[in-house]
Amino acid sequence: MVLYCHEMKLNFKNLLIWALCVGGICFGCILLYSSLEESMQGIADTFSDMGAMSAALGMDKMSLATLTGYYATEIAMMHGLGGAMFAAILGSSLLSKEEAGHTSEFLNVLPIGRGSIVLWKYLALISNIIVFNLICVGMYLVGFACMGETIEGKEMALYHLAVTMMQIEIGTICFMISSFVKRNLIGAGLGIAIALFAMDMMCRIIPAIEDMKYITPFYYSNASDIFTNGEIDGMMLMIGIVITLASAIVAWVWYRRKDLAS
Amino acid sequence: MKEQKYAIEIQNMTKRYGRHRGVSDLSLNVEQGDIFGFLGPNGAGKSTTIRSLLGLIKFQEGSARILGMDVKSRQKDILREIGYMPSEAMFYPSMKVKDVIRLAADMRGMDCSKEAEMLCEHLAVDQNKKIEELSLGNRKKVSIVCAMQHKPRLFIFDEPTSGLDPLMQAEFFRLILEYNKQGATCFLSSHVLSEIKKYCKHAAIIKEGKLLCVDTVENLTRTNAKRIRMIKDGVEEDFVYKGNLNELFAGFAGHDIEDIVIEEPELDEIFMHYYEED
Repeated sequence: MVLYCHEMKLNFKNLLIWALCVGGICFGCILLYSSLEESMQGIADTFSDMGAMSAALGMDKMSLATLTGYYATEIAMMHGLGGAMFAAILGSSLLSKEEAGHTSEFLNVLPIGRGSIVLWKYLALISNIIVFNLICVGMYLVGFACMGETIEGKEMALYHLAVTMMQIEIGTICFMISSFVKRNLIGAGLGIAIALFAMDMMCRIIPAIEDMKYITPFYYSNASDIFTNGEIDGMMLMIGIVITLASAIVAWVWYRRKDLAS
Repeated sequence: MKEQKYAIEIQNMTKRYGRHRGVSDLSLNVEQGDIFGFLGPNGAGKSTTIRSLLGLIKFQEGSARILGMDVKSRQKDILREIGYMPSEAMFYPSMKVKDVIRLAADMRGMDCSKEAEMLCEHLAVDQNKKIEELSLGNRKKVSIVCAMQHKPRLFIFDEPTSGLDPLMQAEFFRLILEYNKQGATCFLSSHVLSEIKKYCKHAAIIKEGKLLCVDTVENLTRTNAKRIRMIKDGVEEDFVYKGNLNELFAGFAGHDIEDIVIEEPELDEIFMHYYEED
């Protein structure tokens, strides 16, 4: 528990900066909608008719001409990608930073045990992601209130649950990687997040690589799918949960038996 | 708890890093209440041995027990009884000194504020500074506080005095002697012979991953080798002499000795001595 509080404290500034940046950008874009609204109908027609591009961005299902459509395509993309990057950066340094910063000889000679170190750090990762999403969602709701608009509550809740789960999955994969290495692989973490994002867009356009949807968590957390169907694809979500659990277990097992660098 | 004779027992410990040698077939016992020096040049395997004992790295063969507990199966129990100071004293740069010291105590589930305050005073640690503002010497002092504040039964120090000024080195050893008087055992690695000679009761010498010898410090340093530097007949000479000193002096007769310094040989020369005996 002490380690958990310590990690939360160390990451607090980072969390706040990311949440305010991603949340702030999306908040700004929500407010921007009122000035775009009039010209939006024309843009919406054009965008929905761009074939593959529309499919990739979900604009074949949702119309940009409504705030919900605008939210599910534009805002959700920024929020999803921003959150994924935050989770990736945090996850990919959480364990390895001790060795990279030469603090492993401080932390690991305290009588807490490596298993507990992994556990508390992982809980800190999940908490950070949840708080990040709560701050962002809070800002979006304020944005909607400022606009005097409402958005479907159930779909909104489902989408944000799915996108939080997506970030936890990416964060956990990066957390697993950070248990293998002795230095912070933030670049690799970001690479994974962006590659998975790109994978989602590509598999929607190119039928030959459609199976990639089973790999990328961006697929089940796609806002236009959730807002259109009113539900999360259960099977895809299950695959995501299994990958997350497996990555967390691998990190736990590996970190307990590895040789720590000084 | 039954009082153990040995604080540290290592039997045939072997640690390899892939193909590289770490330590091989190392056996060593350290008695309770001892101040034990672990001598060796850089890369000899001192840190590898210490890190294996602490469970930071896993050794492949052999076994080790600390205070009667197996290091592989009872790591947490062992760490509760140990105060460790790494050679590279690093902490979280953005934290304040007092927060680091309290964090170490909190993670042990102990309130060590009194002892920590006393140690900080003795070592002149500025508790309100941030770690990133500290020099290596000052970080070492923080590390000493973290290692001592919970009054452990066994101290393990990896090259404790590097980076500390002579005044602080003396204070550090004074603290060790004090804890030692209260029953604590101390195991410290070093490549500085003089401090081992001055403070330790027993010592071991390690080179290239192998233990060369274990003995009392007195016996170890009582070699008949002396390092002699002199200016004889206007020529500067510097050599290690082994043998009867009277014979050496007799040899000086008839020569013009301008200056002469006779001192204990350096660590390396002591090593040479033990190599020759091998």
